[in-house]
Amino acid sequence: MITTADKQATTSLPPSNHEFAEVVHRLEAGGSMLPDNPENLKQIIGIYKAYAVPMDFYWRDLLYIAEHVFLNPLPAFKYFISEKYLNRPNAYAGDNADLRIWRGEADAHPELREFMAQGERKRKLPRLFHHLWHDRVNMEFAEACMLAMFWHEDINPTFNAYLETDEYRANSDRAIRAYFKGNPVMLGLYKLFPDMFLEQVRRLSYYANLGLFWEVMAPVFFEMSDLYDEGKMTTVPEAMDFLVNGIFAVAGRPIYHHVYIDGECYEIIPKSQGFTWLYEAALPYVEAVFYRTAPFRGTKSYNAQAGQVPADQKDFHYGILYADVFPVGSAGIPPTLLMQDMLHFLPDYLIELYQQHGRGEDDMLVQLGITFQRSMYNVTSAVIQALRTALLYPLDDSNLDHLRANRAFFEQQMDRFKRPEARLRDIQSQNYR
Amino acid sequence: MPSIVDIAVQTEGFSTLVAAVQAAGLVEVLATGGPFTVFAPTDDAFAKLPPGTVQTLVDNPPQLARILKFHVVAGCWKKDDLMTQHELNSLESSPIPIRVSPIFEVKNATVLAADIEADNGIIHVIDNVILMG
Amino acid sequence: MLSPLIWFPIAGALLMACLPAKLNTAQVRGVALAISGAVVLWTIGLFTQFDLSLAGFQMREFMPWLPMLGLNYDVAVDGLSLMMIALNSLLTWIAIYSSAKTTARPRFFYSLILLVSGGVAGAFLAQNLLLFFLLFEIELVPFYLLISIWGGTKREYAATKFLLYTAIAGILIFAAFVGTVWLGGTLDFSYEQALSAQLPISAQVVLLSILLVGFGIKIPLIPFHTWLPDTYVSASPPIAILLGGVLAKLGTYGIFRFGLGLFPEAWSLISPFLAVWAAASVMYGAITAIAQKDIKRMVAYSSIGHMGYVMLGGAAFTELSIVGAISQMVSHGLILALLFHLVGVVETKVGTRQLDQLNGLMNPLRGLPMMSALLVLSGMASAGIPGLVGFITEFLVFQGSYSVFPIQTLLCVVGTGLTAVYFVILINRTCFGKLDNERAYYDKVTGNERAPALVLAALVVVLGLQPNWLVHWSETTSRSLVAAVPMAQDVRIALQADLGRLD
Repeated sequence: MITTADKQATTSLPPSNHEFAEVVHRLEAGGSMLPDNPENLKQIIGIYKAYAVPMDFYWRDLLYIAEHVFLNPLPAFKYFISEKYLNRPNAYAGDNADLRIWRGEADAHPELREFMAQGERKRKLPRLFHHLWHDRVNMEFAEACMLAMFWHEDINPTFNAYLETDEYRANSDRAIRAYFKGNPVMLGLYKLFPDMFLEQVRRLSYYANLGLFWEVMAPVFFEMSDLYDEGKMTTVPEAMDFLVNGIFAVAGRPIYHHVYIDGECYEIIPKSQGFTWLYEAALPYVEAVFYRTAPFRGTKSYNAQAGQVPADQKDFHYGILYADVFPVGSAGIPPTLLMQDMLHFLPDYLIELYQQHGRGEDDMLVQLGITFQRSMYNVTSAVIQALRTALLYPLDDSNLDHLRANRAFFEQQMDRFKRPEARLRDIQSQNYR
Repeated sequence: MPSIVDIAVQTEGFSTLVAAVQAAGLVEVLATGGPFTVFAPTDDAFAKLPPGTVQTLVDNPPQLARILKFHVVAGCWKKDDLMTQHELNSLESSPIPIRVSPIFEVKNATVLAADIEADNGIIHVIDNVILMG
Repeated sequence: MLSPLIWFPIAGALLMACLPAKLNTAQVRGVALAISGAVVLWTIGLFTQFDLSLAGFQMREFMPWLPMLGLNYDVAVDGLSLMMIALNSLLTWIAIYSSAKTTARPRFFYSLILLVSGGVAGAFLAQNLLLFFLLFEIELVPFYLLISIWGGTKREYAATKFLLYTAIAGILIFAAFVGTVWLGGTLDFSYEQALSAQLPISAQVVLLSILLVGFGIKIPLIPFHTWLPDTYVSASPPIAILLGGVLAKLGTYGIFRFGLGLFPEAWSLISPFLAVWAAASVMYGAITAIAQKDIKRMVAYSSIGHMGYVMLGGAAFTELSIVGAISQMVSHGLILALLFHLVGVVETKVGTRQLDQLNGLMNPLRGLPMMSALLVLSGMASAGIPGLVGFITEFLVFQGSYSVFPIQTLLCVVGTGLTAVYFVILINRTCFGKLDNERAYYDKVTGNERAPALVLAALVVVLGLQPNWLVHWSETTSRSLVAAVPMAQDVRIALQADLGRLD
């Protein structure tokens, strides 16, 4: 078991000269980018829980869309997830789990079911009304994340290379023909524009990819929340280590894309391709969603001609680690949708905390957005520590060269937060709310 | 001369590796194909991985095979052959960085025993499971 | 009917001073609000009793006081006074509502405000030149104290400057009054007597010029305005509301009542110069406001420009332009009060008035969205956007004066355009853009801070949509005022005849 927290900084390296030397030293001592204090712990665990409930919907619906809705030309009901997918056992929770991460049940979370039935207005109405009233889980956020992963092509080379192979083309072709069997119009269109259909299938493969990724994260966050409630998770580094262990435990989970048409399974990306959760889903997700994404439509407009948007996709920095949460709390842009979703499932202790600061109820979206930012810095720390464990050396290594290599790695990661938009500076202080 | 698999099976301290190779269905290839250079992690190396890691991989043979293939390189590469080589391409297709001096290191693993000759290749024993990336 | 408007606030002021010291600020403020609220209600009652068909003064109250000096307690109301009284009562209430619940030395503060309010009401009603002068001077010391004790930075300096300017204005006005009575050979200082004074045109011009300078300081018109930015900016928001909303109106009221009223021939003679003067004030106010970096200062300069419209309307002295000018006094009072209140709220919450530090206040979660929205509204009203009260009054003035002074009027229209320029600057920098992460932890705007702004904004909109409710009160008065003034042409002919006789 990795317990980086209790390891002392036995480094005999000279202090780092990096702008974020303090954070680098903390990482070298097995800590997180987020300072360890009880309030930070409370904030991040509370928000993990609030995040996990809508995430339980996201992953189920993503897989529902990828596997069932598939190429429906008018997918008006793609957010109307089937009961089967609500009951679909999470592979990492429940008694029959592949690996039981959460001690809870494997089907949809009870709070999620309650919300889906009653919505914000606490009124039992047909699902269509909740949908049209937008009193529902904001699935659009999940799709925005999926699109970010899909669009930043360079970060998932192995997976994307497969999407271009003849094998993938053949698999898709079979599924497309089966799906539109007896529909001459769509089949005719497919004949005319095969690549358009193929591109849609690629997109759906990313639905599956993200769905399988989040299927893991939801139980991880639920379990962290339970451990915190039981008093078994007491520091920020412990929370980070739990994530590191979780990342390793499921690293080898297959990433695949199956489609079910008339009860028959079409393997568009078979498990035998060897795609893994860590390499083809988790790392691209972090890069695409935490760091890059794309400028959101909202209260802030960007002028690409004036160089306000980087010319190079890899320099994009619109993820939650850089996000300006103030406008994010106010306009119809993807992160706001997530904040709105999390608002419905906040644990009482977080609501109490928010009421004591800022404007209480009025700016809770902003406050929880900043909490979310803190929590995602902790998740990113876990990823950084996991990469360090996987690719580099233990923190207590006796070889000075190894420690130097670790330091170089940490500093290189911190370099990404040097740009002015990064919130690493802000989250070092509790005054950032 | 025994094959790579035979050596692994007969030598103490490689039971996890052997089990993994069996689970991934790579026995046949490693026993008869080649020649290969195998970087063989010890049982201790596998034990260093956080709990559940190996189990998830064993449950999913294609994914396990991919990780194991990262430990295998085509051709016979003895330590002396690697003096001028900084990198080898693994069967997984990702490159493996190699350093021979001052100590013989493969990515973030240290070679515990080098140049064990087998019928169909070379084995270097390493103290860490190496991972792509 | 009229005396309570004067004596109730003054009695209230004395009562406030006698309140037990253990009352906290909020309670004292509550008492002051109640007194001022009663005055507002009384004012509404006055409106119901006001007879629109009467051209002259009505509801007259007379009491001998010092007859040997010609000083009598003599009050009455006409359409002009009525509008000013309404503005005074309302803005006093708004100013008290707008004051912070944490104001230091509250009993002193609120009794001074009430004292001022009573005095100003008296000045608007006075039918005796000396009485007017006395009540006019009453506000001087309270305002000095209000600025120098509760003001912001540089308050001592600003208060002293205000005191000196106003005192000089007072001396000039007094001199003009005394001159009118002595030269005119009237029996006492009553307005009625002064109206009948027979003065040669040259004396009229001299006396009117003195009056214009005296009241011009009060309004203020350039180049007598230099006290204004310092004073308005140093004064706390409620005091700035009273200064800009009510006190400045004493100046224009005085010019209309005593300048235009007593010296109609001279008025018609020098009105072209007055129109030029007004246009210069408008342009100067607008252009200077554009250059400001401090939003309160910007609003203060905007006041100079907007008072210029009142002067233009007076100078043109057509029936329409006079109605416009009187209505403009009210609308300017409402809009300026709203602006000063909002600027005050922004300063309290954000801690700065500097344009280069303010941004993004429109943010619905962490900004001041309601205040920003009202700031946009008041900026639009001030810039004369149709549908708001500022448009109607300015349009009346321009419509009425264009036929008389086309060039000056056009200059003023350009000034209105410039108003839009500086309000767009103000609103754009303050309300729009990105809220600053580092500092945007502003307190919530309380209901107490919101209420006065909403009341004023509602008036600005309602009177903009239904201008008749504002305009018709002063129509009869305007007509009689204009009727008293001979056309400039006639005066010049008469003057030439006079001069001819001198030859």
